[in-house]
Amino acid sequence: MTTTRRNLLKFVGGGAAGALLTPAPWRLITDTALWSENWPGIPRPARGEIHARFTHCTLCPAGCAVRARCVNGQPVSLAGVKPHPISHGALCPWGIAGHHLPYHPARVRQGPVKEALAAVARAISQRGAGERIAVLDLRPGRTVSWTNRRAMAAMDNGLYLAPLQPAYSIDLTEAQTVVSFGAPLFDGWGTPGNVFAARANFRLVQIEPVETRTAALADVWLPIRPGTEAAMAAALAGETTIAEAARVTGVKEEAIGAVKEAIASGPAVVLAEDPASPLMSLNAKFHALGRTVVARREAPIPEAWKRAAPVNEMAAAPDGAIRVLLIDESLPGGYVPWQDIQPKLAANAVVVVFSSSSEGYARHAQYVLPAPVYPEAAEDIGPAIDTVPAVFRIAAPLIAPVVPVVNPGELIARIAGLPQTDPLRERADAIHKAGRGTLLNYADGKSTPVKQVSADDFWKTLNQGGCWMDDSGKKAAPPGFSRSVTSPAPHDDLPLTVVAAEARRGGLESPLMSKLERESNLRMTANRVALSPADARSNGIENGGHCVLETACGRLSVVAMIDAGVPAGVVEVAGGPRMADLCGASQRARVVRA
Amino acid sequence: MIGGKIAFASGMLVALACGWLAFPRILYQTRPQPVDFSHKVHADKAGAKCEDCHSFRDDGTYAGIPTLDKCSGCHAAAMGTTAEEKNFIDQYVTPSREPQWLSYARQPENVYFSHIAHVKLGHVKCEQCHGNEGGTGALRPYQQDPISGYSRDIWGRPVSRIALRTEGGMKMDDCVNCHRRQGLEYSCMGCHK
Repeated sequence: MTTTRRNLLKFVGGGAAGALLTPAPWRLITDTALWSENWPGIPRPARGEIHARFTHCTLCPAGCAVRARCVNGQPVSLAGVKPHPISHGALCPWGIAGHHLPYHPARVRQGPVKEALAAVARAISQRGAGERIAVLDLRPGRTVSWTNRRAMAAMDNGLYLAPLQPAYSIDLTEAQTVVSFGAPLFDGWGTPGNVFAARANFRLVQIEPVETRTAALADVWLPIRPGTEAAMAAALAGETTIAEAARVTGVKEEAIGAVKEAIASGPAVVLAEDPASPLMSLNAKFHALGRTVVARREAPIPEAWKRAAPVNEMAAAPDGAIRVLLIDESLPGGYVPWQDIQPKLAANAVVVVFSSSSEGYARHAQYVLPAPVYPEAAEDIGPAIDTVPAVFRIAAPLIAPVVPVVNPGELIARIAGLPQTDPLRERADAIHKAGRGTLLNYADGKSTPVKQVSADDFWKTLNQGGCWMDDSGKKAAPPGFSRSVTSPAPHDDLPLTVVAAEARRGGLESPLMSKLERESNLRMTANRVALSPADARSNGIENGGHCVLETACGRLSVVAMIDAGVPAGVVEVAGGPRMADLCGASQRARVVRA
Repeated sequence: MIGGKIAFASGMLVALACGWLAFPRILYQTRPQPVDFSHKVHADKAGAKCEDCHSFRDDGTYAGIPTLDKCSGCHAAAMGTTAEEKNFIDQYVTPSREPQWLSYARQPENVYFSHIAHVKLGHVKCEQCHGNEGGTGALRPYQQDPISGYSRDIWGRPVSRIALRTEGGMKMDDCVNCHRRQGLEYSCMGCHK
């Protein structure tokens, strides 16, 4: 055989064909993919001892129990705690990714603490008669909230402000029918594990204009005309005819009739997107008070704390009277639109915000001080809206703060001259002294009556993974609800009704979740709005086009999405503080081309 | 014409030989374990069981390869007169230096594997995944794929993975196949969290 160019090529061809029949090329493809995971710069958790630690998630008021897998003391994964009687071992996606938060690239990393303290001291000493020093607490009901209230009681003209908190809890386990006026029951309402544990026993009627995730999972979705909830409520209460409600709301008579029948057939509960909504007064009509809607219970507090300042809504503050406003935005919670706050400030007011994000009130404050984020700070979490018994659980820190932070409660107590104590320990001692309820230890899943536990062991268990629950006593009816249901006033210049696409959460969220949401379009990002094809066409707006969202409170540049699932006459807006500032006080809007 | 066929066949044969015989040999880097340890001696002479050294902590986490503290519990002084024993005492126990064991079964960083869920709840025997490691007289050299950085045991001993035994590999496919056979759930978040 002679060595020719042709034979050489055939040799190479045979080699290539033969190589395909060996594992080598296939293995190298796999290895190359794995090699790409090992590029320099990809962060690697440290090797070391593996331990489980327990804490509670503070990202929302649900306060789900968390089991953290820690390597070398560093949490590397979070999971639920199965024996927990309220969270039932469940965690939402934000909770699962919560340990990424301290490393969020957009986190507030430093702040002018000395300058802020000096400005506050100066403003306090120079304030005029009748000028107030106020704390705005966006997550009331915590132990630190009591510290803030005590601090305001200790100061002349101190004022404690907080978004209105419901005085009731919802007992879903007792409900046979749940009528929800836009409450995101399966998308951030209450405690996720608790809602899904009760899900098999109730029928959900979701009444809202847009088919949200909750509407898609509901047993019945009634696509109501935006702004006509009051007519639907009146029909369900028997105050108007079903035919009249059908005419106003656009929902079929048979569907409204079926909901009325379902409500009459067994225990029911009405929920509203805003827990303070007058729609909640329907519960009195449906005999739900004391059964599915019960008075909210709180853990005992030390006797001395009962002299704390009362809780006020922002509207209760006199106009132009707040000289110093300290805003505790350290945990995501309620949001008071800036348009409601601004008129209350004195002309030369000092506004200090404790926050980890520059998105919220940091846009309006003179001083932004970096606050700790979950899981850096020791906090407790007040009862969630679906927590019937009184509870006390501590979010024990899993890591030390990764940036220099200011603890809002400690600083506010210092400004007010309160003695530096450990309020969490004081409250734990007060609960222990009351001697009621049981202590659940997550490590072994055992519940022990508090009377059988020493005060030190009680404190130790709460910090190492435990929860105090007091389910003693009879369920009581909550205080009455306001009955006046109002619809947004029609406005010729603002033809669209604003519907929030999701609960308006503040603060940082896991960078991993942000990336997933943006890449998958699972949720609307902060600068987006969705319009019906008809409204988009009539305004000359294209999908993805830049527009301006206008309300009575102002204007915001947004990107429009055209969504056939959005009914005509509605603009669906993303969550976040910018949208809340723009749309919180005004439910009418228009969208125009930029 | 015949010469061309011979050239093609020759090329094919060379590639097959390289792919099946030479490739597996050059793919892996081989490193010795720091101590010549015999599972068999510990099982036979000391009556040790797997979980005596590879234990679970009180909180349910798996301790993995024992640390020097555990070894020193028995080997505070030399037990026997072998050169390996003397080396272990002199090099590690006396200076309190942790042996840098090379783990055959180390999963990549993006995998979470719960030993307690499999061993205590699922009653899976150690041998089902790790083979007869506990009955060997000496530790095999550690073989690592330098491209992926994984131990050879993760992929499985045969490079082709043809006719792989049940305990032959620890890739995701192996976990999923086992869960399928047992009729158990498997989902991304079960391991990748």
